[in-house]
Amino acid sequence: MRRPLLTLFAAFGLILTACGSSSSPTQAGPITIGVSLSLTGDFSSDGKALQQGYDLWAADVNARGGLLGHHVNMKYVDDASSVQQVQTNYQNLITVDRVNLVFGPFSSKLTIPASTVVDRYSYAFPEPAGGGPDVFKRGLRSIFFVQPAAVEDNLVSYTKWILSLSPRPATVAYATEDDPFTQPQVDKAKALLDAAGVTSVYYKTYSSEPIDWTPYAQAVAHSQADVVILGTQLPDALAFVKYFISHQYNPKTIIETTGPDQGADFSGKLGANTEGIMVPAGWTAAATAYGNDTFVSKFIAKFGGKASDISADAAEAYSVGQVVDQAASKANSIENAKLIDALHSGTYNTVQGPMSFDSTGKPQGGVGVYIEQWQGGEPVFAYPSSVAKKPPEYPKPAWH
Amino acid sequence: MASQLLQAAVLGVLTGGVYALMASGLTLIFGVMRIINVGQGALVILGAYLSFVLFNTWHIDPFLGLLVTMPAMFLIGVVLELVFIRPLKTDRESLSVLVTYALALGIEGVLGFVFTANYRELSVWYDTASVPLFGFRITLVYVFGFALCLAILGALFLVLYRTTFGAAIRATMLNRTAAQLIGIDVEGVSAVAFGIGMATAAAGGAVFGITTAFNPNSHYDLISRLLTVIVLGGLGSLRGAVVAALIMLVTQDVASVIIAPEWSAFVFFVILVAVLLVRPQGLYGVRVRERI
Amino acid sequence: MNAARRFAPRVALLLVAIVAILLPVLEPNPASINVAVFTMMYVGLASAWNIMGGYTGYISLGHAGFFGLGAYTLGLGVAHLGIGPGYGPFALVPLAGLLTGLFALPIGWIALRTRAATFVIVTIAVMFMLQLAAMNLIGLTGGTGGLSLPVPRWSGDFYNTPFYYAMLILASLTIAVSWWIRRSKFGLGLLAIRDDEDKAMAVGVPTRQFKLAAFVISAALVGMIGGVYAYYVTYVYPEFVIDPLTGISMVLMAFLGGLGTLTGPVLGALLVEPAQLSLAYNFGASRLYLVFYSGVFLVVILLLPRGIVPSVRDLTIGWWTRGGPGRAAGPSPGPSTPAPGNVVAP
Repeated sequence: MRRPLLTLFAAFGLILTACGSSSSPTQAGPITIGVSLSLTGDFSSDGKALQQGYDLWAADVNARGGLLGHHVNMKYVDDASSVQQVQTNYQNLITVDRVNLVFGPFSSKLTIPASTVVDRYSYAFPEPAGGGPDVFKRGLRSIFFVQPAAVEDNLVSYTKWILSLSPRPATVAYATEDDPFTQPQVDKAKALLDAAGVTSVYYKTYSSEPIDWTPYAQAVAHSQADVVILGTQLPDALAFVKYFISHQYNPKTIIETTGPDQGADFSGKLGANTEGIMVPAGWTAAATAYGNDTFVSKFIAKFGGKASDISADAAEAYSVGQVVDQAASKANSIENAKLIDALHSGTYNTVQGPMSFDSTGKPQGGVGVYIEQWQGGEPVFAYPSSVAKKPPEYPKPAWH
Repeated sequence: MASQLLQAAVLGVLTGGVYALMASGLTLIFGVMRIINVGQGALVILGAYLSFVLFNTWHIDPFLGLLVTMPAMFLIGVVLELVFIRPLKTDRESLSVLVTYALALGIEGVLGFVFTANYRELSVWYDTASVPLFGFRITLVYVFGFALCLAILGALFLVLYRTTFGAAIRATMLNRTAAQLIGIDVEGVSAVAFGIGMATAAAGGAVFGITTAFNPNSHYDLISRLLTVIVLGGLGSLRGAVVAALIMLVTQDVASVIIAPEWSAFVFFVILVAVLLVRPQGLYGVRVRERI
Repeated sequence: MNAARRFAPRVALLLVAIVAILLPVLEPNPASINVAVFTMMYVGLASAWNIMGGYTGYISLGHAGFFGLGAYTLGLGVAHLGIGPGYGPFALVPLAGLLTGLFALPIGWIALRTRAATFVIVTIAVMFMLQLAAMNLIGLTGGTGGLSLPVPRWSGDFYNTPFYYAMLILASLTIAVSWWIRRSKFGLGLLAIRDDEDKAMAVGVPTRQFKLAAFVISAALVGMIGGVYAYYVTYVYPEFVIDPLTGISMVLMAFLGGLGTLTGPVLGALLVEPAQLSLAYNFGASRLYLVFYSGVFLVVILLLPRGIVPSVRDLTIGWWTRGGPGRAAGPSPGPSTPAPGNVVAP
């Protein structure tokens, strides 16, 4: 009785080993890339945009014969914008589904907890949307933020533009979510403008869990500042602007960290009132960076709409794929350790422009982040003049 | 500062009216059935989504759409009462809390499935239009919402105090057993009361949806406020709910100017603690011996 | 047969303990241990909640607030005492319990001035206020930007194991406390309060002190578990450590297994949490499992209001009494103890 059982076990073991070995990539076998995305929850619109970008890249790379010859399959799991779930998801992707590579989720808030899990398993973690300073504080070698510049510098070119104006605007009101992505940008802008003597008439950090933004919008409007700098995501970006419209408060210029870069999700709610609103952007559909025109045309072919509807999130996700593609060619391997080594040196071309990474994964010496402005129903690069498609509209026209 | 305070107070009264409407349904249900409907917040959000669908698909103005959503939600309420509340024969007070919480979760889940968790807004023309008042501007939507809530609350009070059926409801609120003894169909009254509670949620939801961006889990924040309102007003007291809603919202909006917006929500908590320490039965409540 | 009845539970207990202790060896995949960490966490949470909700009948829907308090206590303690990654932070877990308990004292004192209906409302309000405080006390808690804890440099394969044992120890502690209360005079007083508070007061049970004690003990245990959780996820965000769903989950598990019983909450957690985790991973983390929770809850309350354990126990007692001479139950609940929720046993 015992022996047959033993044999059975042995056979079973053999089958398991066979399965195990077949799942590891042999030359040119298919590979799976795992991503946890916020398909539901607070970040779901961004999560879906990332998915579009990843899907588009996977289709692209497969059409070109795969990643180093490996056909790429994407596996997405939903984290519902939850910290606990994002950790569990990456753990399961790596240890249960045994994906070959992982790409990043949306937002600094989820990237930070996810990065410690991914690092624990020595996977490379190229990520499109976690760029707050706290992301790099852990000093992980495995993480790579695939955007042209570290997030806290996003508003630097905007402050340069403000300071170049003559006459210079006198007062600024700042309000930002207490979020590892938005707040560092606004704080840096404030430090630069304070130093240059532009008076701050209102500064407020508010909880990123939305309850009601009316009192903050009311306070900003009440300040009657010339310049309004807001550290927002999409919902509060809309809420502030709506309040300003209804209370006929017309600042000379207004910039929001996120929201105005989300294409139709933003313009659909505001119509003609988007005119003049600014957003820091590393990417625009009109940019001439590496492969951007193909990205835009393929995106429209696959998902419909028009160029100005494409969310920057999708371009950022697509860039992650581009970076990994080039790193794999350079390392001539898709092993995580070799990819990590490769990514720490060299320059990578993306639809957001060229970029390289320092030892903590911060993007270095990239082209920097520009100012995009809504003009005539389209977001266009407006500053600096080296990339500007149209000069910035200043002051912003009054609300309709 | 003075103008800002006045503006806050006016806004507090206007939004207080909306909360009064939403809370009146909650307190009515408690009064008639002795159950706390923790699902009221989710039902308000459901109402907001119904208005959203009508508005986005057929361009029906949310206020006009109430002609559809209120009866629909009334029916949903009656069905919910029949299926989920009525079978609770024992220990209604505790079990009903859990049943209605479960309903809230179910509604949240289904709404999330159908509409995703993206924030939605009812972008009507009057949510960016405003009228000048005492030297500042008030967004029209608050004015319209307040007017609507006053109208519905007025209708509710008329039904309660000027009709035979209203008398039956009030009798049931006063003493369920006695009402039963004098031949009132207490079960039927309960179903209708639950339905009325849902209809007020539909109306509240429409106004809430115009003034605030919402997603399926917005109900948590809402329900904790509504519950606090009805505790302050006195569980089961309609008049109390209205007065308490106005007190809460005005205090909150004024505190938001004087102290800071992020601490204004604590007003609810501070008032709640004060009420429990000084007058646990609430403003208009009577000290009833709650059956545990 | 009597011998079998006496020893069967002990043997079963021993077996369960051995499996629980050896689990990381038997099933070393980190993803499985991750499931075990969360399951053990909910075994502890549901059992701790049951000490208040089950024994006294006062339903708290706000225990997630205490979970968060414990999480913040540990996170802030580690930061301010400069404790590095490794086993050090676990030493602060009792502190998390202590502070949470101290905090629960005034809350309980105020909330318990009211009877059941208002008490529920107060617990919900307290939870949201704690969450709001955590979001807005940015200088202390890091606000919605979160509070980060040191990350142990343990390998991926080993990483989850210490957390599993920490949760196992806390769950065992909670069950032991619950067992002790159940057998004590204090526990009898709590059950009397559940059955009829006025009568209990009339026969001399110090109801207010007893209720408050149960509330504080329950909160402190939940706080300790919250502390371990914070270290496990290495990041404390207010909306995730003080999540109404955590609060309702423990209630659901206690109800499913059997309110006011010792083993009910344990069983409920073992059934619900792995199912929840697997649903969340395979079908998306928010929508479906809400519907799943809602469905389980409604079925349990409408069809099985006393939960699994009491219902099954009645069946087996029926079987035993038919099968052999009747046997008077000791302190363990039989038909002599009214079933939870005032449901009169048939």
